[in-house]
Amino acid sequence: MSMTVQHGMLPLERRQAALRAALPWVLVALAAFVAPFLLSSGFGLSLLCRMGIAIVFALSFNMLLGQGGMLDFGHAVLLGFGGFAAMHAMRAAGAGLWIPAPLLPLFGAAGGLLAALLGGWVAARRHETAFAMITLGLAELASAAVLMFPSLFGGEEGITGDRSDGPALFGLGFGRQWNVYFLIATWAFGCSFLMWRYTATPLGRLANAVRDDDQRVSFLGYDPARVRFLVFLLSGLFAGIAGGLQALNDEIVTSTNVSSEASGAVLLMTFIGGVGTFWGPVLGAILVTFLQIALSTMTDAWQLYDGLLFLAAVVWAPGGLSGIILAHTPLLRAGRGAALVGPYAAQLPGLALALAGVVWLAELGFRLQAVRNGAPAGLLLGMTARPHEIWQWAIGVALLLAGATLLHRFWPRAKMAWQAQMAATIAA
Amino acid sequence: MSAAATIPVLEVSGAGLSSPDGAVAALAIRDLRKSFGPTAIIKGVTLEVAVGERHAVIGPNGAGKSTFFHLVSGRLRPDAGQILLNGADVTGLAPHVISRRGLSRSFQVTALFGRMSVFENLRVAAMQALGVGYDFIRPIASRAKLNARAEEMLELTGLAARRHVAAGALAYADQRALEIGVAVAGNASIVLLDEPTAGMSHAETDRAVSLIRRVTAGRTLVMIEHDLGVVFDLADRISVLADGQVIASGLPAAVRADPAVRVAYLGTAADTLS
Repeated sequence: MSMTVQHGMLPLERRQAALRAALPWVLVALAAFVAPFLLSSGFGLSLLCRMGIAIVFALSFNMLLGQGGMLDFGHAVLLGFGGFAAMHAMRAAGAGLWIPAPLLPLFGAAGGLLAALLGGWVAARRHETAFAMITLGLAELASAAVLMFPSLFGGEEGITGDRSDGPALFGLGFGRQWNVYFLIATWAFGCSFLMWRYTATPLGRLANAVRDDDQRVSFLGYDPARVRFLVFLLSGLFAGIAGGLQALNDEIVTSTNVSSEASGAVLLMTFIGGVGTFWGPVLGAILVTFLQIALSTMTDAWQLYDGLLFLAAVVWAPGGLSGIILAHTPLLRAGRGAALVGPYAAQLPGLALALAGVVWLAELGFRLQAVRNGAPAGLLLGMTARPHEIWQWAIGVALLLAGATLLHRFWPRAKMAWQAQMAATIAA
Repeated sequence: MSAAATIPVLEVSGAGLSSPDGAVAALAIRDLRKSFGPTAIIKGVTLEVAVGERHAVIGPNGAGKSTFFHLVSGRLRPDAGQILLNGADVTGLAPHVISRRGLSRSFQVTALFGRMSVFENLRVAAMQALGVGYDFIRPIASRAKLNARAEEMLELTGLAARRHVAAGALAYADQRALEIGVAVAGNASIVLLDEPTAGMSHAETDRAVSLIRRVTAGRTLVMIEHDLGVVFDLADRISVLADGQVIASGLPAAVRADPAVRVAYLGTAADTLS
C-alpha cells in the first residue's frame, strides 16, 4: 500500500524498487496457481473458489472503510446487484446470446456500478455516522425491493442459471469446478491488482485525506462528497465483480445475497484481517471463509464462534491480523524474533485451555436446544453431552477459568518481551 | 446566496472596488453579516486587503475573528454582505470552489491528514493547483511536477527529515509548520492563517514567523494572531475586530495609537506597547 516510488532515484534503484513491489504479486499468483493442486478435492476447490470471491469483496469493502473512512452496512447490496446482473446475462447466454462465461463478471461489474450509482448518490453526501446510517437504510430498501419485483429477482427462490450453457471461449467449458476455480482466481488476481494500483492514484490519496479530515480536503479545492461518490462507484464496481463471480460459482442468486448477514460477513472478515493495510482484508477473507466453511461442517454453533472471533479481534487486536503482523515485522527483520518464541509459547497452554472452555460451554449451550427438541445431545470431546447436568457446565467453566488464570499470569511477560525487543529494534 | 441579494449592494462588478492606487483588491469584504440564531456574531464587516499585503486581524476573544475566516473561506454561509476575491464575487460558494479561485486557509486547531505521511499531506495539498483532478488511473508518483512541488514544500517547512512520519505522530510545533505548509502548498494567491503561532514557545514562534515570511512571499496574507509581537513584526496593515465589527484598520502605528482600539482591545496592556 505504501508503495510510492521515490524521486531522485537512480534507474537501477528504481528498477530494484519496482522488483521489490512486484515480488508479493508474483508470490500470490504462484500460491493461487498451486493451491488447487494441493486442495484438489471437491470440498477444497469449492473452498478456494469462495476465498477468491471473498477476497475481491473484502478488498472492495476496505476501499470504503479502511481507505476512505466509510462504513458501509449494506455492502452486500452492491455484491447482490452484481450477482443478479451476471445471472441474467448467464440466462441470456443460455437462451442463445453470445456471452462466454469468463465475461459474466463484467455484467456483475455493471450491476454493482448501477447499484452504487443509486446508493452513492444519496450516501456519499454525508460522512461518518450519517453515511453508515444511510447505507443501513439503503440495505433495508434493497432487501425489500428484491422481494417486491419477482420477475427481476426471482422472489424468495431467487434466480438460477447454468454457466455451461453459454458459448465456449477458446474451447474452454465451465462445467468443471476446476475450470471455474481458475476463472475466479484470474479475476480475483486482476481485481486485487487494480484495487491496489488505485490506492496510489490521486483519487486513492484523496480518499485517505477525506477519511482523515474531510473538511480540510474541501479547502484544498476538492469536493469531499464527490471523492466519496467516486470511491463508492469504484467499490461498487469491484463488489459487483465479486457478485458476478459468486453467481458463476453458485449458479443461483437469491435475496440472501443482498442480506444484512452478507453485509455483516464482509465487515467481519475485513476487520479481522485488519483495515489499516491493503492486504489485511485478503487475510481476513481467507481465514473467515475457511472458518465459516470448515466450522459449519463440524458444528451447528459456527455463527457463535464467528461472533466470538469478531469480539476477540475488536477487543484484543483492533488492527486485525495485519496489525499483529506489522507489529512484528520490524523485530523479525532485525533478527530479534527468537527472543519472543519462549514468552509467546508460554501462552499456548493458557490459550488451549481457555479455547477448550469456550468450545465446551458453547457446544453445551447449543445442545440444550437439541435436547429440548428430543434429539440426542451427542458426544462432546468423547463424552456424552448432558446439557441438563450442572457438573458438565462446571467442567467448561473450570477449563475457561484455568486458561484465563494462566493467560493472566503469563501474558504480561509476552507483552514486556515484545516491548523490550521493539525498543531495542528502534534504538538500533 | 439569496441573502446577499436582499441587501443593497454597492458594487455589482469588481471594477469599482479598487484601492486608492487603482488596483483591484485581493480581498474585498462588503458589509458582511452572520448570526447564529438570535446572536449576531459578525455585524457588518467591511474590509479591503491589497494584493501582496500582509494583513493581521486582531481583537479580543469572542470578537468573531474565526467566524470571519469561516465566512470568507466558505465554511459558513454569510447571512448578508459580499466577498470579492480579486474582484470576483465568491459569496456563498462552496469551500472547494473558493479554494479553486485562489484562496487557501489554515486552522487554529490543527487539521491535518493524521494517518498520512508528512510528504503525502503536502502532495495532496499541492494537487489541485497543478491541475490534478479526481484521477484514479495514473499513479500519483508519476506526476513529476507535483512531486517536485511536494519536495520543495518539504524543504521550505523544514520537515524533510520527517517526510515518512504520519502527520498525527508529529510534535506539536512540527504539526503547526505542516499546517502552514498544507495551506500554501497549492500556490493560492490569498492565504488565511488562523492563529499560526498559537501554543508555541518563543523559539518556536520565531521559527514560525520566519516560515510564514518565506512561504507567503509574493502572496496576500490575512492572519488572525494573538501574539502582538508577531503582529507588529509581520503585518503591513492591521484590522481590529471587536464585537463583530472592524473598529480600526490601517498601518500598525496608526492602529496602535487609535484611542478606540486602546479602549476596546488593548486595555491596560496598551501602555506597555506604546
